[in-house]
Amino acid sequence: MAKEPSEQIIWDEERGEPGFGFIRPHFHQEIFPTSQIVGYVLSLALTLTSFLLVIHRTFSASPLLVAILILAVGQAGVQVGIFMHLRESRGPAWQVIPLFLGFFIAGGMIAMSIWIMMFKWGGY
Amino acid sequence: MSLPVDPKVIPKPPVPLEFSVKAESIKITGFWMFLVSDMLIFASLFSVFAVFRSRIMAGPTPNQIFHYGSTLLETLLLLTSSFTVGMAIFAMRKSHAQAMMTWLVVTLVLGAGFVATEIHEFITDVQHGITWHVSGFLSGFFVLVGTHGAHVSFGIAWAVTLLFQLSRRGLTPVTTRKLYTFSLYWHFLDIVWVFIFTFVYLFGKIT
Repeated sequence: MAKEPSEQIIWDEERGEPGFGFIRPHFHQEIFPTSQIVGYVLSLALTLTSFLLVIHRTFSASPLLVAILILAVGQAGVQVGIFMHLRESRGPAWQVIPLFLGFFIAGGMIAMSIWIMMFKWGGY
Repeated sequence: MSLPVDPKVIPKPPVPLEFSVKAESIKITGFWMFLVSDMLIFASLFSVFAVFRSRIMAGPTPNQIFHYGSTLLETLLLLTSSFTVGMAIFAMRKSHAQAMMTWLVVTLVLGAGFVATEIHEFITDVQHGITWHVSGFLSGFFVLVGTHGAHVSFGIAWAVTLLFQLSRRGLTPVTTRKLYTFSLYWHFLDIVWVFIFTFVYLFGKIT
């Protein structure tokens, strides 16, 4: 089937793959859904760990908060990296840059809100 | 210097169907931009909740109204549905339309279970007089968790329409692109929920 010029695949041998570093596109193609199963097991393990940590009060309050926040960030990493196929794109995977800018703004907004209110509360 | 003699364009690696047409592939990038802006909406609501979570006035504390059981059930339902929609995309890439539809239906059932559990939780709260005008904490809680629940409900309605379209048209660059963006949306909601159960429910149980 002949394709329109605009519908052609953009990889070619002379130019090589588009993009570089973390915006180099990469497609997940597997014969068996290994990465999905690994992602599911990882996400269940991370969730149950944070639940068990809280139910058994493994640490005192502050380290416990930090521990379950780290587990949540790991869980988000599993979802973005394994399930959302972050770097799938025809050309360079430009979505990566706004996404991390968004993480930066979101984290900054939440952390700065908590920080500025500490002056009123005298502690969190 | 040799000019490229053969301008043959080689697909390397093979591009999946949803990326095969340039216009559809651009829509996937556009959907990522939507997800970034939606993430900022949730970040604002998380900030509001963080600021108000200790403002309970005469109302209940987080520890009194949150339950491990329903939180764990909702989390497991949503995590599993995130896996099943991943399997739907896997089946779509293999051009197994029947398997794809089955995984999508399973995803919908799990998502409906999540929404039902959350609605049940909200109704139980309201019956005990725990409403969003009682305290700043409850306002932040109901707006944040309610916005997430509304997103999940919208996602279910979207996937039902997708199911009809997929059964009528089969796998085309347009329908596969729609299912792909739906899977991105669904995983995104799963990430938001992970932060809700950590930051709202588990933090509420600790302090």
